[in-house]
Amino acid sequence: MQQRSYKIAVVFIITLLCLVLGLSMAAILRPASRGTDYIADIYQDGSLLASFPLDGSGDTRRFIVTGENGCFNEIEIRPRTIGIVSASCPDKLCVHQGFIGAPGLPVVCLPNRLVIQLREAEPGAVDAVAY
Amino acid sequence: MDKNMSLRKLTTLGLYTALSLAVYAIESAIPPLIPLPGIKLGLANIVTLILLQHYTARDAFLVLTARLLLSALLFGQALSLLYSLAGGLLSFAVMYPANRLLQKKLPFLTGALGGLFHNLGQLGTAWAITATAGIFAYLPYLAVSGILAGLFTGLCAHFAGRYMISRLK
Repeated sequence: MQQRSYKIAVVFIITLLCLVLGLSMAAILRPASRGTDYIADIYQDGSLLASFPLDGSGDTRRFIVTGENGCFNEIEIRPRTIGIVSASCPDKLCVHQGFIGAPGLPVVCLPNRLVIQLREAEPGAVDAVAY
Repeated sequence: MDKNMSLRKLTTLGLYTALSLAVYAIESAIPPLIPLPGIKLGLANIVTLILLQHYTARDAFLVLTARLLLSALLFGQALSLLYSLAGGLLSFAVMYPANRLLQKKLPFLTGALGGLFHNLGQLGTAWAITATAGIFAYLPYLAVSGILAGLFTGLCAHFAGRYMISRLK
């Protein structure tokens, strides 16, 4: 009986891990849709700070978002991509995440609670349902 | 704390706590390979796995909480205690029953589960702090990295544990 519950546990855990791995890889390798324009939303503390269309128009420009305790992130908006170019946080992970040009992974600065996220410009897009 | 804990046991657990802190410090000196928050090896989990496998769950829990609190005190930034507590305690809550069901064998399976749930706990905390559902786009990346890192630390615990126990117990 002891031996049986051990075997069940091994099989169950391996199955669970494989399932999670498979689903995650499928989500990571899911092809990104192309040829659409995106809108970049900048969130701070969960509230929408600003939105910028990334439709190829407009010049490259920079601005600084400040937060509590004097922390800041300098954001650069290019015609089709957006990213953080400098920050006050200790690890600079947000800067190393580079520029994004498609929905999927947002640029996140956890110390400063800043999230930059892209969404499709057309209303009623169904991409989010895939999650 | 338990009044009946023997001096020998207390010393051993203190040694393990110091060891896990040292491992944690060494790991945080390694620059991150992948620039995503939350992706790391979690080498300090090796100590938790060794204790779960060769000592009791209570010992593992004591060393884990001591390490979490001390590492936040020594190396932490603001908020890092919240992340490490959420990740560490959730992964322990999963690793403890898994380790019992596996009859203290196959530590890499326990480690993989622990890594996965550690990252889930941290992502949940990040979600609570930023209040942005979009960060769940990280979920597949964190799940894969948690499982792979957990498999690695589990194997480390498997091999390191045998040598350490023969000298410490």
